[in-house]
Amino acid sequence: MKPLKLLKLQSVLAGAIAIAFCLIALSSYAQGKKTLTLATSPDYPPYEYKDTAVSGNEIIGFDIDIAKYITQELGYELKVIGMDFNGLIPALQAGRADLVMAGMTPTAERKKNVDFSDLYYEAKNTIVANKGSNFTKAEDLVAKKVGVQLGSIQQEAVKKMTGVQAIPLNKIPDIIQEIKSNRIAAGVIEDTVAAGYAAANPDLEFNTIPNTEESGSAIAFPKNSKLVPEFNRVLKQMKDSGKIKELATKWFSRPIAQETDPANTPAPSPKLGLDFGKIGPNLPYILGGIGVTLTFTLLSAFLGFLWGIVLSLFKISSIKPLAWFGNAYTSIFRGTPLILQLTLVYFATPQLTGYNISALQAGVITFFLNSGAYISETIRAGIQAVDKGQKEAAESLGVPYKQMMGDIILPQALKNILPALVNESIALLKDSALVSVIGVEDLLRRATIVGAEKYIYFEPLIFVGAIYYLMVLSLTWGANVLERRLQTSS
Amino acid sequence: MYSNVDSKLAVKVDRLYKSFGNLKVLREISTEIHKGEVIAIIGPSGCGKSTFLRCLNLLEIPTSGQIYIDGVDITAPKTDIMKMRQKVGMVFQHFHLFPHMTVLENVTYAPVKVKQIAKEEAHQKGLELLEKVGLSDKADVYPSKLSGGQKQRVAIARCLAMEPEILLMDEPTSALDPEMVKEVLDVMKALAKTGITMAIVTHEMGFAREVAHRILFLDGGKVAEDVPPQEFFANPKCDRAKQFLEKML
Repeated sequence: MKPLKLLKLQSVLAGAIAIAFCLIALSSYAQGKKTLTLATSPDYPPYEYKDTAVSGNEIIGFDIDIAKYITQELGYELKVIGMDFNGLIPALQAGRADLVMAGMTPTAERKKNVDFSDLYYEAKNTIVANKGSNFTKAEDLVAKKVGVQLGSIQQEAVKKMTGVQAIPLNKIPDIIQEIKSNRIAAGVIEDTVAAGYAAANPDLEFNTIPNTEESGSAIAFPKNSKLVPEFNRVLKQMKDSGKIKELATKWFSRPIAQETDPANTPAPSPKLGLDFGKIGPNLPYILGGIGVTLTFTLLSAFLGFLWGIVLSLFKISSIKPLAWFGNAYTSIFRGTPLILQLTLVYFATPQLTGYNISALQAGVITFFLNSGAYISETIRAGIQAVDKGQKEAAESLGVPYKQMMGDIILPQALKNILPALVNESIALLKDSALVSVIGVEDLLRRATIVGAEKYIYFEPLIFVGAIYYLMVLSLTWGANVLERRLQTSS
Repeated sequence: MYSNVDSKLAVKVDRLYKSFGNLKVLREISTEIHKGEVIAIIGPSGCGKSTFLRCLNLLEIPTSGQIYIDGVDITAPKTDIMKMRQKVGMVFQHFHLFPHMTVLENVTYAPVKVKQIAKEEAHQKGLELLEKVGLSDKADVYPSKLSGGQKQRVAIARCLAMEPEILLMDEPTSALDPEMVKEVLDVMKALAKTGITMAIVTHEMGFAREVAHRILFLDGGKVAEDVPPQEFFANPKCDRAKQFLEKML
């Protein structure tokens, strides 16, 4: 009879978790039929980025304007989602997006995996380096470390340069920063993108590479997408009517980095030259990330805690398969990188189940599955540390397993392991920054977006670092108060 | 499931064996306890008295043999153990009060959660029981604030709140400081007079002599003597009992 009771308890908990799932799912599952989802990497101004001070959370840029124009012509609704550049093609393959526009060049390699429209814009590559380096052509880069954006056309271009060591980095601002820190000799980025950085970084020099094969941008679609001919038709119209040129002028001749008044900008110092004033206008946007990070952490911690209890009961269960499952589960989730689990859940779920899981859902699910594994070990140890006599006393009073666990054993176990649980929550809060990889706009992601938009690097990172630290401090303080209160109650 | 035993029998034990691995702790114990009878189980340490007692409410699962409580074979696989345990209360050497509940909550928890008795009623009855064991002033205190003797009296009240037909007590005074033994023994004596069936593992020979109707002397996992106390203390039959009494008295 014991096993039966145990199963009942587990099904109750499983039910609770299922309900929580549905709530998450419902919260973001509302789409019209004729909506096209555009995936892009909004850290690539002026193609696509966020000007959080001006347009808030919306992704804007040259590519977005083109996409808006075409979808309007064709009678679609457009939904834009942001993610890392190297996640874009997987997103198309996973059916997570209908099209990708990210200044992406149709290389032979990419064409194997996705279909492309005709080119809509052609740009040149530029070498960025510290002033005085005098790199003007590919040959100058021989035997040098050269930064490129991971998965970008520039990475391919540099690979083709013989004798040049390509250093792939996630974002353009990373490249700029690495040059400034002298970790790489130069970077190769796109002409139009370089213009913005040139204005913001007087200590760098920018030289367009002559005579290289031109690298144009095209719209990427899933293989055999029916959208390609439609889009090509409108693109041709836009080229013929001069609409593309008009948009190019609008975006590429815009003095992006001169938004801050030059008079207020302090002279560039030789060291870090931090200027937190630059992120002032973006403050509300960055602070909005606190809510995202907290929601995410609390939801994951809560579900992870429930799941941890279920798993720990599995582990101490006398039913062999349950115990085996609990142990194998923990072993796998503790034995593989969290970021790997996150990427798998996010990209594999649509392919396996057909359900288009949102980044936040994928994040919460992965994190609670993962922290459940850690928490279950803590809880198991806590349960086993409770005096065996407590169980016997409850049993001798005829208390069924469910109530015994819920009312007598777990409360005592949880009180003992409270410090360990707080540690787990703190780890979760900090690890939550990992979700920025799949595009959830948490604190860290917002900091990097603002950094990309303002061509600054350290200020937003240091700022959110301080916010993380304050959140951890208040969590610790809250736990101390709780612990003291529990101590006095018995 | 039902045996044709006397309806006056509270407990019937039939050829009970219990081993822990290779260690044979109980080797064929057969005995009967009548309703309203108080038996004291005594014997040298390691003789199996605690194990025997713990088998009676299946805290230890017998290796073989049958135990009938109120005529029902509790060792049969289909028996509802939880139902049986509601009839058989147990008091432990180390009290095992629930530390995160107040004294009154300790007493009312099982009646409310297991027997589904209304909270107010359980509350009322809990206070009466605490009154009976002389601790009504401690109702809202947590167990950590109590002395050993007080804890054991709360444990007895907690047990009685389930209105058991049979009360098992496993060395209830062994963990107490000497000056607290009496307060617990007094409660036990009063209980014995109420007509409840009791099986007590104890080292308190004076108490056993005064209160028990029968002495069960265990040795090496067997019942060595099963006689009234007057007879046992005045005239022990087996050598082992003689030696034991010489050391104890």
